[in-house]
Amino acid sequence: MARLTALLLPLLLLLAGCSGRQSALGPGGADAQVLAVLFFVMLGGAVVLWLFMNGLFYWATRRSPSAHSEKGSFLLIVIGGILFPTVVLAALLSYGLAILPDQRAPGDGLTVAVRGEQWWWRVEYWPEGAEAPIRTANEIRLPVGARTEFRLDSHRVIHSFWVPALGGKMDMFPGRETRMSLEPVRPGLYRGQCAEFCGESHAWMAFEVEAMEPAAFDAWLAHEASDARPPEGAEAQRGAALFAAQGCGACHAVRGTEAVGQVGPDLTHVGSRHSLGAGRLGMAQEDLMRWIRDPAAFKPGAEMPAYDHLSEAQLSDLATYLRGLQ
Amino acid sequence: MTDRHHSDPEVPRPEGPYPPTEAMLSEPVPEALQAEQRRQLAAAWDAPKGWRYWTAVNNSEVGVWYALTAFFFMLCAGVMALMIRVQLAVPENDLISADLFNQLFTMHGSGMMFLFAVPMFEAISILMLPGLLGARDMPFPRLSAYGFWCFVIGGVFVLGAILFNAAPKAGWFMYPPLATEEEGVGSDIWLLGLSFIEVASIAAAVELIVGTLKCRPPGMRVNTMPLYAWYVMVVGGMILFAFPPLIAGDFLFELQRSFDWPFFDPARGGDPMLWQHLFWIFGHPEVYIVFLPSIAIAAMVVPTVAQRPIFGYSWIVLSAVGTGFISFGLWVHHMFTTGLPALSLGFFSAASEAVVIPTGIQLFCFVATLIAGRVKMTPPMLWIAGALAVFTTGGLTGVMVAVAPFDFQAHDGYFIVAHLHYVLFGGMVFPVIGGIYYFFPFIAKKQLSARLSRWSFWLIFSGTNICYFPMHLTGLTGMPRRIYTYPDGLGWGWLNMISTLGAFAIAAGFLVFAYDLLRPKGGQGQVARNPWNAGTLEWTHDIPEAKWGVRSIPFVRSRYPLWDEPKLVERMDAGRYYLPDSPEQKRETLITSVIDARPIQVQEVTGPTWVTLWAAGFTGGAFIFPTFHWYGPAMVSAAFAVVTILYWLWTSTARPPRHEMREAGLGLRLPTYASGPAAVGWWAVWITMLGDATGFASVVFGFFFYWTASDFPPAGSPLAAGWPAAGAALAYLASWGLTLGARMLNRGERSGAAMACLALAPLLAVLGAGALILSVLHLEPASHVYPAILWAIMVWCVTHTIPGVIMQLYCLAGILFGKLRPRHDADLWNSTLFWHFLLLTALVSAAVIGLAPRLL
Amino acid sequence: MTDDATDDAPRHQEEQKAFAEEADSLLAITIAPLIWCAHFLVCYCGVAIYCAKWQQAFSLGVLRAGLIGATVLALAGIALIGWFAFRRWDVRTSGDWVHERGISEDRHRFLGHAAFLLALISFIAVCYVTLPLIFIGSCA
Repeated sequence: MARLTALLLPLLLLLAGCSGRQSALGPGGADAQVLAVLFFVMLGGAVVLWLFMNGLFYWATRRSPSAHSEKGSFLLIVIGGILFPTVVLAALLSYGLAILPDQRAPGDGLTVAVRGEQWWWRVEYWPEGAEAPIRTANEIRLPVGARTEFRLDSHRVIHSFWVPALGGKMDMFPGRETRMSLEPVRPGLYRGQCAEFCGESHAWMAFEVEAMEPAAFDAWLAHEASDARPPEGAEAQRGAALFAAQGCGACHAVRGTEAVGQVGPDLTHVGSRHSLGAGRLGMAQEDLMRWIRDPAAFKPGAEMPAYDHLSEAQLSDLATYLRGLQ
Repeated sequence: MTDRHHSDPEVPRPEGPYPPTEAMLSEPVPEALQAEQRRQLAAAWDAPKGWRYWTAVNNSEVGVWYALTAFFFMLCAGVMALMIRVQLAVPENDLISADLFNQLFTMHGSGMMFLFAVPMFEAISILMLPGLLGARDMPFPRLSAYGFWCFVIGGVFVLGAILFNAAPKAGWFMYPPLATEEEGVGSDIWLLGLSFIEVASIAAAVELIVGTLKCRPPGMRVNTMPLYAWYVMVVGGMILFAFPPLIAGDFLFELQRSFDWPFFDPARGGDPMLWQHLFWIFGHPEVYIVFLPSIAIAAMVVPTVAQRPIFGYSWIVLSAVGTGFISFGLWVHHMFTTGLPALSLGFFSAASEAVVIPTGIQLFCFVATLIAGRVKMTPPMLWIAGALAVFTTGGLTGVMVAVAPFDFQAHDGYFIVAHLHYVLFGGMVFPVIGGIYYFFPFIAKKQLSARLSRWSFWLIFSGTNICYFPMHLTGLTGMPRRIYTYPDGLGWGWLNMISTLGAFAIAAGFLVFAYDLLRPKGGQGQVARNPWNAGTLEWTHDIPEAKWGVRSIPFVRSRYPLWDEPKLVERMDAGRYYLPDSPEQKRETLITSVIDARPIQVQEVTGPTWVTLWAAGFTGGAFIFPTFHWYGPAMVSAAFAVVTILYWLWTSTARPPRHEMREAGLGLRLPTYASGPAAVGWWAVWITMLGDATGFASVVFGFFFYWTASDFPPAGSPLAAGWPAAGAALAYLASWGLTLGARMLNRGERSGAAMACLALAPLLAVLGAGALILSVLHLEPASHVYPAILWAIMVWCVTHTIPGVIMQLYCLAGILFGKLRPRHDADLWNSTLFWHFLLLTALVSAAVIGLAPRLL
Repeated sequence: MTDDATDDAPRHQEEQKAFAEEADSLLAITIAPLIWCAHFLVCYCGVAIYCAKWQQAFSLGVLRAGLIGATVLALAGIALIGWFAFRRWDVRTSGDWVHERGISEDRHRFLGHAAFLLALISFIAVCYVTLPLIFIGSCA
């Protein structure tokens, strides 16, 4: 297996170069690597078999029959139809079964609980031994070289948690917990997306995954556990006041402030995230303003109301405040 | 078999020589007699004219309507696919809203599967099977017509919803809780509209199975049947076991949507996984239900093209039967990512690989036949060759996704979209179009154009590959299914653009094909009778068309009678064989035995009527009105449907014949009436009830599923009342005993006692139903899934009691009015058979409701 | 055409006799796949119920051993069916691989041949379904 990986790695890297950060063929995780190798092995076999089968068919329609045809045909059915596939499929099945348990391996300590919402992700970090989780949303950071366990469930409908570059997917059900684990091997920024159809804005239920060196990850997690940074500068302070006055805190939590709502995503460190609206927009000033003005324009069916009664200046203040929540 | 005839010397049986000798067959038929026979047959089988044309029930009419309707629905679903492709051509496209897109892909999938793929199989089989078997018609022509009208009404209702922006939008798989929570009538349209069509599908399956088993020409033993007939039998059987779980699922689903019984609501003990199980127990065999008939078409085309018998007939039969079985062990491979134990995934992964072997054998048999024969590339063969190239691609990616860990990546992504479209194009679209090119001279007595065939083939073939091949990569680079748009910068844009271009090439190919199919062909003149020089019976058809199907039903001794018996066609035309005439100008066909096709009866088949249309309309109302929660009109409509169907049965089925025996030709005299296992109607009831029992088993499976999945029954929850449940079991037992007794007494010419039994039996049945209701009445079905599933089992059993009671009363009336006599008792046999199953249902219901929760 | 005239003549109670023949022929070809079905269901239901309800009661090893035992039984049953079918097929004495004639003997051999092939496929499929029991040792 290791030799096979070594053999195929250059090819994998080539594909990684030309494929996006949501690609199963540009693996950045241990599981995805195993599955990519599995795919290329099967692809090779499939190409050979396809050429054989169709070549045979083409030849059969062009040749004229000879005396040996009957016996040859019989042998063809016995060998091609029974013996050969039985052996090849048994080998493939064994290969698949052998790697199956590892795809569900238990984690090394850190557990991340993810709950699917329509259409975003509620995320809780449970470091080993922790009694209370560190809450965040719509973005996941993982340490490289360690296996992180995921506990998945859902609020209302079925979703599926999928980061193709790191590993396979797992469905998320209301009322039932499913588990999986991921082990990034290359630091980098990957993208995950909901894979089970979950309603109107299924297309816009994504998230960023950043695989970090362990030390950087620990520092980040410690910071993530802290309360929100107070607003700095006049604009941000106006934005914070507006945030409170508009009742944003009824749905969103900003730890360390009076905003404790649990309906929508936690915004304590929203400014430090790579994307807004579960992978919908970037985190630029303009993105935040557009989003707050009319979320449903970017995510049809989103429950957050439009704040189009706010002026440009007010929206800009709010955006400044939120971007400052690093 | 519990039902066996007693030795009854009075039951008429076949008399005369069989099999016919060569001397008998070579005796000429006088010209004048031939002319008279042709006149009689033409009069009996004449198709209605003018606006009465729509009362026709002949397989040659209904089959064509069926096929064209399915083709039309396919074009509609295809247009939806084009809209989907246009929307996805570029990133962040806002041409189509998310809501409409979700309706489009839901209806594209549902339409292609329920309104095209399965009905197309039924249409082609209804159209072709009598020809392949040298039969006059299907055994129950009115049932075909009824099924067709149900299909039209249901299909227009379901597909039309999208014009009102009210179509279902939770995906063709309708996963709860998304689909149970969906507002509006979309989900109800899907559930009720498609259940309605599934019922029609089961009706067609019953007819096709009985047709294959009982309407073969004399001498066509199981080892000489055309392979298509073998496939029809296997696929019919699969429909029987695959569709009822979905109907049971629909039943539970609609109970949740209408009455809030929480079958799929985890907050009240329900489990969305139950739907996934029931849906895919249907859904995976469904793939093979679509695929096998198309392979069957290839199995007819390949020997003709190779001009030699199929190589490995037994092997192909093995493949069909083996695939039929193993395909029921694959369903969880649609659920590999639901977090089931790895060991469970392993079993389904293993079965998914095992099913590849019989599938491969079929392809190798075709190749072997071609190697051993001298191949002539005809238009049908071009499509079959294309099918092989496309299907092997889909088959090989199928082998890949059957490996569970790889499916963790592929599942719900575009790799799967590519895989399934390769399988369905290669395994269904290409062979079916090939089949239409092949059978068209039989169906329409005209030829399609070889030049247009090449155009449409190369357009569809290249379009398929351009459209779907890039999707493998789109999927592996992370694009999930069912997203209405996607951001730029993930490398999906150019792949999707190529796919969209390919989709338009496919559409262009279909336009060419549709033009070829529908263009006027008046100037073409008469086609050759057997244009491909094939060896099977359908090519003995009359040109120009005669409505009687076959002039006389041949005696067959080989798999390719046209190749092996040079005088066959001449003798058929002369009316030398069986049933060459119709002295009473009735529509008749020959019934033969199951294994060896010995002639046993002449069966009168039904003719044109409006009643099937009315019955379908009222049945449609019973399904469609509940969508809008109009339960009153639905009840009225259902009552009218029952009355119409009773009228239909009373006036046209199982009436005592005027003559007990009929000269069937070649000196053979056959009975004209049969009851019990000798009658086709009894077989139809038996097969239908097998499917019905599967549906009931699925509901009971739900009970035990909840038991494994959670704390069930929840601690402290009230139990069903035990004594009423036990009383219900006894009452049903007594009602069943009286029905059985009535049949025996009636046979013994004790009509009065039989009538007394039949008068008492319905009372006991109603009593039993009442007791069953009483046993659960104090439970609150909306509170938790435990009382809900007990209620559901009760509702299922009580609903089935209604036809049980109607049948008892129908037989009572039959004896009273002389329709049902001591020896003409088919209705009573069929009712008793129904009651065997009803008793089983009632006993299991009583045990599960009254006993199981006390033991678990 | 008179070679088997007596055999072919319509008989009294045709359907009952056809049923009897069916019992040892047409139905016989489905026995091997039915054994596969039963084995598959036992494995699947056993594991599903064990993992949901009985994990505390006994170890998975016991269940796996029991199911592998079921495999041995199933394979023995299928092999037996296959052997009977092979004898019915009777290819060694007749040398007939095709059975295409419309006579009782060919129908008889054909059903033997088909039953034999189905036993073969069922045998392979049962072996496949046993592989997960060997490779996977947990409910995860």
